[in-house]
Amino acid sequence: MAIAAAACAATTLMATPLHGVLDLANIVMLFLLTVLIVAAGLGRAAGVLAAFLSVLLFDVFFVPPRFSLAVQDAQYLITFAVMLAVALIAAHLAAALQREAQLAAGKERQTRLLYELARELAGALAVEQVDEITRRFLREAFDIEAAVLLPQPDGRLAAVGDADARKPEPVLARVAFNNNHTAYDAEHAGGRYAVGWLPLKAPMRVRGVLKARPLDPAADTLYAQRTLLETIASLVAIVVERLHYVDVAQASQVETAAERLRSSILSALSHDLRTPLTALVGLADSLALLGPALPAAAMDTAQALRDQAVRMHGLVANLLDMARLHAGRIALRREWQPVEEAIGAAIQLLRPPLGEHPVRVDLEPELPLLELDAVLMERVFCNLIENAAKYSPAGAAIDIEAKRHGQDVTVAVCDRGPGFPPDKSAVFEMFVREDHAKPGVGLGLAICRAIVEAHGGSIAAADRVGGGACVVMTLPVGNPPAVEEEQA
Amino acid sequence: MSAAARVLVVEDEREIRRFVRAALEHERCEVFEAAGVAQGLAEAGTRKPDLVVLDLGLPDGDGVDFIRDLRSWSDSPVIVLSARTQEADKIAALDAGADDYLTKPFGVGELQARARALLRRQERRGEAASPVFSFGDVSVDFPRSQVMRRGEPVHLTPIEYRLLCVLIAHQGKVLTQRHLLREVWGPGSVERSHYLRVYIGHLRQKLEDDAAQPRHLLTETGVGYRFQP
Repeated sequence: MAIAAAACAATTLMATPLHGVLDLANIVMLFLLTVLIVAAGLGRAAGVLAAFLSVLLFDVFFVPPRFSLAVQDAQYLITFAVMLAVALIAAHLAAALQREAQLAAGKERQTRLLYELARELAGALAVEQVDEITRRFLREAFDIEAAVLLPQPDGRLAAVGDADARKPEPVLARVAFNNNHTAYDAEHAGGRYAVGWLPLKAPMRVRGVLKARPLDPAADTLYAQRTLLETIASLVAIVVERLHYVDVAQASQVETAAERLRSSILSALSHDLRTPLTALVGLADSLALLGPALPAAAMDTAQALRDQAVRMHGLVANLLDMARLHAGRIALRREWQPVEEAIGAAIQLLRPPLGEHPVRVDLEPELPLLELDAVLMERVFCNLIENAAKYSPAGAAIDIEAKRHGQDVTVAVCDRGPGFPPDKSAVFEMFVREDHAKPGVGLGLAICRAIVEAHGGSIAAADRVGGGACVVMTLPVGNPPAVEEEQA
Repeated sequence: MSAAARVLVVEDEREIRRFVRAALEHERCEVFEAAGVAQGLAEAGTRKPDLVVLDLGLPDGDGVDFIRDLRSWSDSPVIVLSARTQEADKIAALDAGADDYLTKPFGVGELQARARALLRRQERRGEAASPVFSFGDVSVDFPRSQVMRRGEPVHLTPIEYRLLCVLIAHQGKVLTQRHLLREVWGPGSVERSHYLRVYIGHLRQKLEDDAAQPRHLLTETGVGYRFQP
C-alpha cells in the first residue's frame, strides 16, 4: 500500500515540471501507466488504491484551479470518471494476470514434485522402499509426517515395517480403506485437520491407506493440498499394486518350480522302482522259455515269483499315485467321454486277474457324456472292480450300474461279498482295510476318493440289497458339448 | 513266421534286455542290443532290423527323437516300452511313428504277441488286401461297402464306416486320437475328440456283443484306440 502511494506521489512529482509543457490528457496517461505497473506488481488492492489516489492527485495538482479539489471546468469530471474506470479495469486485469502467473508457477512446482516422486517410486522394489520414499517426500515438500498402511496377512491394516500384531489398527484407516474415501481426524484447535487417512486407490482395488499428519498443527496443509495429496496417494497405490503383482508372479513361479521338482522326483522314483520290477516279472516269465523245460515245481516257483512281483508293482503304483494325488493340486486332463469307455478299459486291463468273476455292466441308455480324466477314472474303476473281485466269493458276478439323477450321474460297483463294516466312511481313509486277512494296504479306496473328488464328485459305501457291498460314485454332468447328428 | 527276423532292442537296463532277448529268441528272431539312443541308431543303420523294441526312458536322449530319426529312412515297426503314467510320452512316440507300446511291467507273452503281430503285418505288406475282412461274427465287404453281422446287414453311417475302415487298415496298431480324428474327420477336427468317442461307442453298440466290454474295438486309455481282429 505504501509503495502504491509512493509510486503515485513520485508520478505527481515527475509530472509537475511538465505541467504546461504537456497537455493534461498526456499527464493522465502517466497516471494510468503508474496504476498499471502497481497493479501488475502488487496486486489488486494496491492497484485500486493507486487508481483512486491518481485521480485525487491529478485533480489537486494538475486540474485548474490547482491545489484545490474544486474543478473549474465541469468536463474534467468526465476525465476523472473515465480515468478512474480505466485505472480500475487496468488494475483488475493486471492483478488477474499476476495471480495466474503465480498459479502457473505453483502448478509447475507441484508437477515437478510429483514427477520426482513418481520417478523415485518407479524404481522401488519393495513396499518398504515405497514407504521410505513417500515419508521423505511428504516431509520435505509439505512438512507432513506420513506412513503407508497395508493390509497384513490377518487382514489388519498396519504401517509398513511395523506389523506388530498387538497394535490395533487405526479406526479411521479402516474407515478410509472400506469406504474408499479420505477420512480426517479433526482434533486440533481451530478445527484444522490433524491427521488425514487417504485410501490408496489402485486400478484393481484399494491397496492400503496413506496416513498424513502436518508437523505444524496450525498449518492447513491437509485441506489446502488435498488434491495433490490424493494424487500422491494414487501414485503410491499404483506402485503398491505393481509390487503386489510382482509378488504374485514370483509366488506362482516358485510354485511351478516346486510342482516341477515334485513331479520329477516322483517320476524318477517311479522309474527306479518300476525298472527292477519289470525285470523281475520278465525274468520269471522267461524261465518258462528255457530248454530243456524246468520241472513243474520250478515252474510253479517262477509263476509265484511273477505274481509277487506284479503285486509288488501294484502296491508301488498305489503309493506313488497317492503321493502324486496328495502332492499339491491334481492336474486333471479332462475330456468329454461316455462313462462306459472308462469302465470298459478297466475291465480290459483286469481281464486276466479277474479270472472267474464275470462282470455285468448295466448302463442306462442315453447317458450324457462326462468330463473325465480317462487315465485317472480308469484307475478308479480298476481299484473298485479289483476290490469287488477280492471280496466276492469265487464265480460271483460283479455288477456295474450307471444312472442319471438330475444333474448327476451315479455309478455303482457292487459285489456279493461280506459287505462293509458299520463305519462306512472310514473305508475311504488312507491305510484302512476292511479285512486284514486279505492282501492290500488300503490305499485303493482312498485313491478313488481323491480322484472322484478332484472331478467335483463324491463317493460313498453302501450295503447291497440281498447281501454284498456297493461303492457309489456321484459325478456331475456339467455342460456336455453337443454332438451333431450325422446326415446319413 | 519266417526264420531270423531281425529285432533291435534299445534299452538301458541290462536285465530287461536279457529277458526281452530270451523272449524274442524264443520266437526265432535274431536279436541285437543297444543301451542308448546313439548306439541304437548306429545299430539300426547297420543291422536294418525288421522290428525295433525301444525303451522311452533312455539315459542319453529322448526315445521320441530316436523314432523321428529312424522314420526318416526306415519304416520298420517300433514297439515302445514305457510306464503307465507317461501317456503324453506314449502319444508323442506314436505320433512320431511308433506302432505299438507296452506298459511296464509287461510279461513275456504280451511282448511276444505284440512282436508277432507287427512282424506278420510287415510280412503281409505288399500283398493284395482281401476284398472281404472278417472278425468275430462280423464281416466287412469293402468293394460293396457292406457290413454284415451274423449274416444280417448292419447299417453304418458314412463316418462310422470310414472309422471302421481306418481301424481295420491299421489292425493291431494303436492309433492316437489325433490320428483318427485327422483321418476320419479331416485335419481341422483334432480338437473334437468327444466325436471320436461317441462314434466308437456307436460302432461298439452295432458290432460288439457287449459295448461296455469290447473285444475288438479296444480303448488305449489316454492314448487312443486299437482294433484287434
